[in-house]
Amino acid sequence: MTLQHYLVISAILFTLGIFAVLTRRNAISILMGIELILNSCNLNFAAFSRFMTPSEDISGQIIAIFGIVLAAAEAAVFLAIILAIYREFGSIRPDEVDTLKG
Amino acid sequence: MDFTLTNFIFYGFALMTVGSALLVVTVRNIVHAAFSLMVTLFGVAGLYVFLQADFLAATQVIVYVGGILVLILFGVMMTSGRLEMRIHIERGQLLLGGVVALALLTLLLTVIANTPAWKNLTDDGTELPPTTEKIGELILNGPFLLPFEVVSVLLLVALIGAALISRKEVRD
Amino acid sequence: MVVPLISIILLCPLAAFAIFGLLGLANRRFPRQDYLSTAAMLIALACSFLLLREVVPSPEAHTVDWLSLGGVTFSMGFYLDSVTVIMLIVVTLVSSLVHIFSMGYMHGDPRYPRFFAYLSLFSFSMLFLVVSDNLLGIYIGWELVGLCSYLLIGFWFEKDSAANACKKAFLTTRVGDVGMFIGMMMLFKQFKTLSLYGDGIFTRITNPEYFTADATGIVWLSIAGVLIFCGAIGKSAQMPLHTWLPDAMEGPTPVSALIHAATMVAAGVYLTARMFPILTETSSLVIAYVGGITALVAATIAIVRFDIKRVLAYSTISQLGYMMLAIGAGSYVAGLFHLTTHAFFKALLFLGSGSVIHAFHAMHAHAHDDEHDHEHADSEEHILGSEIPPDQDMRNMGGLRHKMPITFVTMLIATLSISGVPFIFSGFWSKDAILGGVLGRAMEWNSAHHYILFGMALCAAGITAFYMFRLIFMTFFGEPRNQEMHDMAHESPKSMTVPLLILAFLSLPVVNILWFNEAYVKPPPQPHLHAPQHAYIAPDGNTGGKGYAVSLFGVSEAVAAEEEGGHSTDGTHADDGHHGHGPAHTIAMVLSIIVAGLGIFLSWLFYHRRTLSAESVATTCRPLYNLFWHKYYFDEFYDGVLVTLTVWKARLFAQFDGSVVDGIVNGVGFVTRDLLAAFTGAFDNRVVDGIVNRVAQVTWAVGGRIRRIQTGAIQTYLFVVLAGIVLLILIFRAL
Repeated sequence: MTLQHYLVISAILFTLGIFAVLTRRNAISILMGIELILNSCNLNFAAFSRFMTPSEDISGQIIAIFGIVLAAAEAAVFLAIILAIYREFGSIRPDEVDTLKG
Repeated sequence: MDFTLTNFIFYGFALMTVGSALLVVTVRNIVHAAFSLMVTLFGVAGLYVFLQADFLAATQVIVYVGGILVLILFGVMMTSGRLEMRIHIERGQLLLGGVVALALLTLLLTVIANTPAWKNLTDDGTELPPTTEKIGELILNGPFLLPFEVVSVLLLVALIGAALISRKEVRD
Repeated sequence: MVVPLISIILLCPLAAFAIFGLLGLANRRFPRQDYLSTAAMLIALACSFLLLREVVPSPEAHTVDWLSLGGVTFSMGFYLDSVTVIMLIVVTLVSSLVHIFSMGYMHGDPRYPRFFAYLSLFSFSMLFLVVSDNLLGIYIGWELVGLCSYLLIGFWFEKDSAANACKKAFLTTRVGDVGMFIGMMMLFKQFKTLSLYGDGIFTRITNPEYFTADATGIVWLSIAGVLIFCGAIGKSAQMPLHTWLPDAMEGPTPVSALIHAATMVAAGVYLTARMFPILTETSSLVIAYVGGITALVAATIAIVRFDIKRVLAYSTISQLGYMMLAIGAGSYVAGLFHLTTHAFFKALLFLGSGSVIHAFHAMHAHAHDDEHDHEHADSEEHILGSEIPPDQDMRNMGGLRHKMPITFVTMLIATLSISGVPFIFSGFWSKDAILGGVLGRAMEWNSAHHYILFGMALCAAGITAFYMFRLIFMTFFGEPRNQEMHDMAHESPKSMTVPLLILAFLSLPVVNILWFNEAYVKPPPQPHLHAPQHAYIAPDGNTGGKGYAVSLFGVSEAVAAEEEGGHSTDGTHADDGHHGHGPAHTIAMVLSIIVAGLGIFLSWLFYHRRTLSAESVATTCRPLYNLFWHKYYFDEFYDGVLVTLTVWKARLFAQFDGSVVDGIVNGVGFVTRDLLAAFTGAFDNRVVDGIVNRVAQVTWAVGGRIRRIQTGAIQTYLFVVLAGIVLLILIFRAL
């Protein structure tokens, strides 16, 4: 296994996440895309930690743990906002929530 | 490239991750998407194991699969009626998104392929002792104490905030 | 002891006023302002009597530096000598009695508490003036007195006449004050100080460093003296600024008493006496003439008045003229002596007349608006435009001696005193002191001026006796002329009669003798007053004599001679009358008794026995009568000349203002509005507004296009962001 294997997997995950965020017309699907992006990041951290530093140094893993915590917090807030939006607009389709349209 | 068992399992996990992620972004049914996401998360956890990050892998499973995914499913159930289970996708948007995503992917792959420092870094295969103890040392008695405390406060704030935002507004 | 006592004297009335003022700010009121003010005055009175003992040994000044301007320091302080103390006692005594009297007289007035607060302020101002040791302090007190007189004369400001009278009093005295201020400035320029005592003007006047007594210096000093005297002319109602005083009768009667007896008009005499050391021969003569003419003219006017208060007002002017004459003729002690005696009997006369008016006023309130108002206002009064209030018209009175015995007796005593009935009344002594002093100066200097002045004073004395008894006869004797009013009249309450009795006692000479003893009052030296070349010099070398007035009170001649010797050795005059028991005082006394008796006798013939008819005499001497009746046409003169001139001048200025100034303004306005403004307006509308509008239009149009970018769809935003990132990376990668 080389670093590039992991990086490629990570890049694919990242791109798929971006694709989901860009195209899905459902807020929860967007959340899933974001989770993919975050996972790709964490995977990168872990991979760089493994390949680019001495093997005793596992700081990258810790950063990845922090990333997971962030993802959890983000998911909680995101869902709360989705619920609030749903109560306000009766929909969680992002194209229908366009009050800020110019 | 020799097909050892390790390699085989690695590619299996990689394929599982990428494939299920592809499903996540393509299936129309949101519940299906959620379950595909679960598979993806498991795949990433497996990849963590290959990176000698056993604690990270466990956390990935517990937090993501046990926490976030459940949250997502709750979200789906609370916001979507039966008709809403299907995800609307517009063709034009799909096209544009695809183009951008492909461009991005090309870019990333180019960077990965062309960065000299990242070339030919192979896994030396050293077996690390279980990382839990070391992570505990680093977090609770090392340089990461402060970030750990900050992030815990952040999590607390986020949870309180989420509870506050999502509760039913009491109108008077 | 001196400083605390003076402080108490000053602070008591001030505190009484301040309490009223401060509570007034909070819209509150001290429950018994009348008691408060009266108590303050009584305390001040007590302290004044205590001071009497303190000051005997030597005069002293207590000063503190007040403010420094440039190189000059103005000091504030007290100066205490016998004159100050006497003035303090007179002021506080009369003021106290007026306070007490007012409790009865002003009872029921809607602004009753305010009246007492004003009285307190008035007393404070006068006391401040009296104790000041420098011209600045005197000037401050001086103006405060003016202000208070304004407030009190216009106390019933609802009446137009009162409002006009207070304005007139204020403005007329102001004319004099201007002169006084110029005089002060002249002195200040020369002597670099406004202090009088210590190292003040009176010391520096003999110091060659500050003042050289050459011909120019004397002329200069004369002018300064006369200018300062101008202030006294205004305040003490001397010719020709006397016209405000009769009009000041519009104020409540206690105020008249206070103004005439103790405060306002006394200030002028006091100032003149204080400035005694700087008087030169010329300025003395000016003062003497002004005083003499005033005494005579005012007395003649008083003959034909019917308003009881106006008679008294002119008599005051006349008596003030006497005092000025005395000071001008060098009879310093006699002038101040007359000031004190006059303070008491004139206060008594005014309070007595107030009592009479009060008696009638009660009736008047009952039968208000009946025809009396018009019935008794004869045609001539209409010409003057000032009707006599029926309750002050002597033609409505008569026979009141049975109705108001106390008022009658006390007023009779005051009248006898002012008329100069010999020996048992104080006015005789003081008036004789003046007459004797003037005659003495005349004989001593062999000066025609002083003989003329003596003649004037003598005539005035006779006329005074005449019109004062006319007042008494018309008011208290004979048959009631207005039965209805007479029936309603009654004796006044105790708060009013008690002050009358006290003042009547003070009109007897006992008290005065106590004050004017030899050791107590000494005239200050007049270094620049020199007898004329032809002056008569006494064989024993005494050029000046110790007070004639003093000698009358039984002071030994030896002491007087000793004093004289002291004065003559340092080459200064301390004239106060003439030397020793010379012939002057005897002549003056005899003549004075004769003219007084003559005046009283004539008055008796005219107004009691009616063997002679005043009307027929008036008809015979029509022009003279008219002259007196119209008060020598002073008011007409002022109205006709000064007012007309002022109005004419105002018209001229108005015309100038209307044509030239307004023309310029309008022209500028035209150029600005019709030319410049039109141009700038067009520029503004076309260019500036055009630019602004065009900018706005462009902004609007661009905004209208750009707003479409804002889709509100977050995915679009993200798309753009990502596309941008990719593009940027590609671009920089390519570079």
